[in-house]
Amino acid sequence: MSETAYPAPPQTPFATSVRKSLFSSPLDCLVTVVCAVLLCLLLYHLVDWAFLSSIWTEEDEPLCKEASGACWSVIDARHRIIFFGLFPFEEHWRSTVACIVMIATIVASCVPWFWSGLKLSVLWITGFAIFYLLMHGGLFGLSVITPERWGGLALTIFIFAAVSLIGMPLSIVLALGRRSRLPVIARLVGLFIDFFRSLPLLTILFTAAVITPFLLPGWLQGDKLYRVIVGFAIFFAAYQAENIRAGLQAIPAGQDEAGKTLGLNYMQRVTRIQLPQAFRNSLPAIVNQFVITFKETSIVTIVGFFEILASGSAAFGTGKWTHHYIEVYVFIGLIYFIFVFSLSRYGAYLEKKLRVGHG
Amino acid sequence: MAEQHNNQRDNQEVDEAVTMINVNKWFDDFHVLKNINLDVGNREKVVVCGPSGSGKSTLIRCICKLEDHQKGTINVLGTELNDDVANIDEIRREVGMVFQQFNLFPHMTVLENCTLAQMLVRKKSRKEAEAVAMQFLEKVRIPEQAVKYPGELSGGQQQRVAIARSLCMNPKIMLFDEPTSALDPEMISEVLDVMVALAEEGMTMVCVTHEMGFARRVADRVIFMDQGEIVEQNSPQEFFDNPVNERTQLFLSQILQH
Ligand SMILES: Nc1ncnc2c1ncn2[C@@H]1O[C@H](COP(=O)(O)OP(=O)(O)OP(=O)(O)O)[C@@H](O)[C@H]1O
Ligand SMILES: [Mg+2]
Repeated sequence: MSETAYPAPPQTPFATSVRKSLFSSPLDCLVTVVCAVLLCLLLYHLVDWAFLSSIWTEEDEPLCKEASGACWSVIDARHRIIFFGLFPFEEHWRSTVACIVMIATIVASCVPWFWSGLKLSVLWITGFAIFYLLMHGGLFGLSVITPERWGGLALTIFIFAAVSLIGMPLSIVLALGRRSRLPVIARLVGLFIDFFRSLPLLTILFTAAVITPFLLPGWLQGDKLYRVIVGFAIFFAAYQAENIRAGLQAIPAGQDEAGKTLGLNYMQRVTRIQLPQAFRNSLPAIVNQFVITFKETSIVTIVGFFEILASGSAAFGTGKWTHHYIEVYVFIGLIYFIFVFSLSRYGAYLEKKLRVGHG
Repeated sequence: MAEQHNNQRDNQEVDEAVTMINVNKWFDDFHVLKNINLDVGNREKVVVCGPSGSGKSTLIRCICKLEDHQKGTINVLGTELNDDVANIDEIRREVGMVFQQFNLFPHMTVLENCTLAQMLVRKKSRKEAEAVAMQFLEKVRIPEQAVKYPGELSGGQQQRVAIARSLCMNPKIMLFDEPTSALDPEMISEVLDVMVALAEEGMTMVCVTHEMGFARRVADRVIFMDQGEIVEQNSPQEFFDNPVNERTQLFLSQILQH
């Protein structure tokens, strides 16, 4: 360390850096101005369409034909279908509460305070139990509603949460299995992963929904929804396992050796030394897989489930609403955006948090 | 002081900390260790040196079973090393190892590095473990770094933390694999000082190093390895002043040139 410390050089002021990067030559100025004008025009049209010239309530729907803006009447009139699908109308509150509980469970498990096996197990078991009780009913005087009639946002969130919950532990086991010192296990797990990665998700879901009932004994089949979730979770795990394995691969061998010489057993080394570092190493890819999975939940419509996108199609599928699919899709797009954007932001937060002390 | 853990081996005092009899090891077809016979007595300090690739690391890695040997027997603290898992974990608890590359856990603070194994393996409470950790961090003279992450420390500091981390487990034997060769010259002495202090307290040590000053000062015996064999062993005095084997002479002339 030297004795004298110099102050850090002042940071370039914002205005200066803007001038430098956008207006440093006449041509630069021209390009900047043209782009700015185009952007403003686009933004104006968007705001005009969405807010200024739009129609907001169901009663005003007749005005939609004349209006140049969006016809949000369709959302006002049909939002219940979008959010709840085929769920019985009088029971919508159950779906709402279930949805909130499930989102709260997901959010809570993102908080570091919950990161222990016991707390997470309690959290998730409680979360799923309440969700199931509310959605399925059959207790405390709640009428029974079978999974075929679940739909909308609650179904989307449920599928996402269940796939993540089954898929994450499975992916860890697969990743570790593929690195097993026993060649038989490593090969078999490798084969399993590559097999499921090479199939399209569609095929897996179709097989789970339609074909497995012919193969499995009755007591093992479960509801179609659960078969689809299990199939989806295996697909998710096959990909996530490879992400985690990449993270494990990047850990120097000395880490595990240091753990061994301290007397830590295999499970202790895996949970305390390897996995935390593997997650840190491949966090972007891992978060990415969650984002993809959230969006891919929409595929379950083809095996007959009305998750939020399918419910949306139903919302503009009748009578006077058929012309307003754009508004419905924008609305659903916004909902997806809220979830996926939150996920990405959380990923960025985690990356920052886990990088502590790594420069 | 740290609590003395009860271990059946504490009672039956064994004279030899490590006994290797006719140990042979191969990496595939490559014969790395050839008929190694080596006894390390209790409280003895042994320095191992030799040219690169001679099998020094492999030798001490066999003692804590980071490598398997294929022929011969290795006895550590009166227990034979075999493929029995319980026995391996048990022995590893009694043998500390310090690596060339430190191998601190980068996702944990210095203090957590030192308490992890105490809590998981010795089943100590966090409070107890932290007290022990702080005591050893003071011993290696960096208690003030306890809350930092390894990435924020210099190489010399990291290596001292690594030594403290091993000592926290109360090992009966300490193995060092070139603990100073990844360090900048000005940091070497701070690590060697810690090792000298440890040696003076009577720790059993097997140390791969080319720090000849250190060897002269603390070693009871210096072992020279070449091409997987122990070529010569002697007291440091004899070893450095009157090497017998010509390979030893060549090696010594090379490292003393620097
Ligand atoms: N995992 C391994 N697989 C195959 N060969 C290995 C392996 N580890 C070491 N070797 C070889 O065994 C020989 C001895 O290696 P070792 O690391 O024990 O040497 P060393 O004396 O410690 O050398 P250095 O001074 O460079 O650390 C070397 O030729 C090395 O290439
Ligand atoms: Mg070596």
